[in-house]
Amino acid sequence: MNTAQQFSHAAAAKAADLRHRAIIQKNISSYDSGVARGKDKFADWQNARSRVAAIKWDTINHLDRYLEEFERNVLANGGHVHWAEDAEQARQIVLTLARQHGVRKVVKAKSMTTEEIHLNPALEAAGIQPVETDLGEYICQLRGEPPYHIVTPVMHLSKADIGKLFHERFGTPPDAPAEELTMVARRQLRQDFLTADMGITGANFLIADTGMIALTTNEGNGRLSVSLPRIHVVIAGIEKLIPRLSDLGLFWPVLCTSGTGQALTSYSTLVGGPRRDGEPDGPAEFHVILLDNGRTKLLANPEMRDVLHCIRCGACLNTCPVYKTIGGHTYATTYQGPIGSVLTPRLRGAEEWSHLSFASSLCGSCTDVCPVRIDLHHHLLHNRRDAIAGKLDHPLQRLAFKLWLWVLQSPARYVCAGKLARLGMRLGLGNSFAKPWTATRDLPEPPRQSFRDWWRHQPSPMSTDSGPKTQDSGLPPHHP
Amino acid sequence: MNPARENILGRVRAALRVEGKAPTAPSSAAVFPPVTDLETRFREEFIALKGEIITDLPAFLDGFAKIASAVPEVTGSADVRQADLGVTGCDCLLARTGSIAVCTRSAGGRALSVLPPVHLVIACRSQLVPDLTAALAFWHQRYDRRWPSNLSVITGPSRTGDIEKILVMGAHGPKRLVVYFAS
Repeated sequence: MNTAQQFSHAAAAKAADLRHRAIIQKNISSYDSGVARGKDKFADWQNARSRVAAIKWDTINHLDRYLEEFERNVLANGGHVHWAEDAEQARQIVLTLARQHGVRKVVKAKSMTTEEIHLNPALEAAGIQPVETDLGEYICQLRGEPPYHIVTPVMHLSKADIGKLFHERFGTPPDAPAEELTMVARRQLRQDFLTADMGITGANFLIADTGMIALTTNEGNGRLSVSLPRIHVVIAGIEKLIPRLSDLGLFWPVLCTSGTGQALTSYSTLVGGPRRDGEPDGPAEFHVILLDNGRTKLLANPEMRDVLHCIRCGACLNTCPVYKTIGGHTYATTYQGPIGSVLTPRLRGAEEWSHLSFASSLCGSCTDVCPVRIDLHHHLLHNRRDAIAGKLDHPLQRLAFKLWLWVLQSPARYVCAGKLARLGMRLGLGNSFAKPWTATRDLPEPPRQSFRDWWRHQPSPMSTDSGPKTQDSGLPPHHP
Repeated sequence: MNPARENILGRVRAALRVEGKAPTAPSSAAVFPPVTDLETRFREEFIALKGEIITDLPAFLDGFAKIASAVPEVTGSADVRQADLGVTGCDCLLARTGSIAVCTRSAGGRALSVLPPVHLVIACRSQLVPDLTAALAFWHQRYDRRWPSNLSVITGPSRTGDIEKILVMGAHGPKRLVVYFAS
């Protein structure tokens, strides 16, 4: 099976999984009400979106300048900057640093970029233990599965699922409350924080004018990861830049509101280098790895460039009817939902991943909620158009559309096709022709006549009695 | 010399030779409603986040055996890794969000305000500012070119909603966040 066929099978199975649907609905309805409350705290949420979009546009369209400014300031702060063209280069930079410093254990704060470059398997292969410290990511690591959602990694699990996992791993009661499960993870991971040699984080933002990175967490694992180990390594895509520290006055509230509905998460943290003279603690070394991994390809396409505005808030996943139906794992990508369906064919190759852009209702809800105003659903169309131009669609589909075009070009052929279709439906051929559709749905009764026929038999509007109506209710006039 | 830097910057510059279409300019309308009574708003937001405000400092401190402190108002010399209470100052209190801005200088380094299970902040009313934008401006004014290596805006105690979005306090950081206003 190729990737598209695997996707299709997994999607069909998940769509029929009612337990999955119930868990996701519970989770996302809680998210929805939180975000609605969060947006109410803004005087003008739409203008907030426009402002962050304008700042991001400026950043991305002058990215070379901001990258160099960021690099200069990190170096001035006593940090190091590395550049990685692809995932392999990024992994090698981390492994080299780990070897140089005799690192045996790494604590990781939640980072989708490290998922993108498949860092954990590379660390393990080198004999280094990576420990995911975000509770959701920790549960993913225990289960040996990738995050289901870029913000809420175990959205697909119920408390009972996690209770069972912890019961098997740590001997907690199978029906332990969420608080007890969290405290078990806290105790386990506290030991890891105290013994780790290296902390690895992503960055929600890279700040050009001060050479800092910004981290957004609720649990405090990000702050512990940058406080206790001897060395701190940051891995971030080159698009994560913002020009000024003062921009966070808007970006932090917008990210938190779209991500979880919070005005600010518990910890909005800035790291600007290693421990300074006179500071009591902190890592002796601070390294930032700037990752390209296909991002400059998006930059080179002015039509798609705004995809690099993405701040990874997860709002487009939560609103997407496709995501909610087929679930995060079905995508089999690092980034799921609409942003994943737009990004993945561009970053990882259209041949293997174009099917994601076709798996969309094009309802546009993703574009409506995107806090940085990425034109997501039109980008899905752009991906589709380019896939067709590159002849990546199925030959039969291509033939079907050619036939359809031929039919539409002549009224006679169109009328004839309609008659044939109604006849076919009456003969029960619909169930064999439209099987993927009718497998889970009833085909409607075919109409007796076409709309054109019906219209032709209506009395002409000119000949009807158009006397004054007593009321405009659409009902026949009332005669007492 | 690793060519990755020049390769990436070269690709960025080549890509940007084709100009992108600028979005419509945002309006000048305020994004947030104004904050008026700073202290009242801070108290409301902070309590809603499950923060605690205390008035009797000695009685509160009596409850802790191992105190690590970075402020002169409270004596405590426990190791931060062993402490059951971390006591720090702060840079600002943010009224709009009930947040506390700290950095390595005001909070005695990185770990003291996040590692112990309870974090006590000794603050002054004069440290109240309207919001995040004001706090960032304060940091700029105070630390520009001499930046501490780590700064944080703390908004309530540590929390997680990773299990079915059920709110649990004290995921990794402090389970309790306490403010005492010094006169």
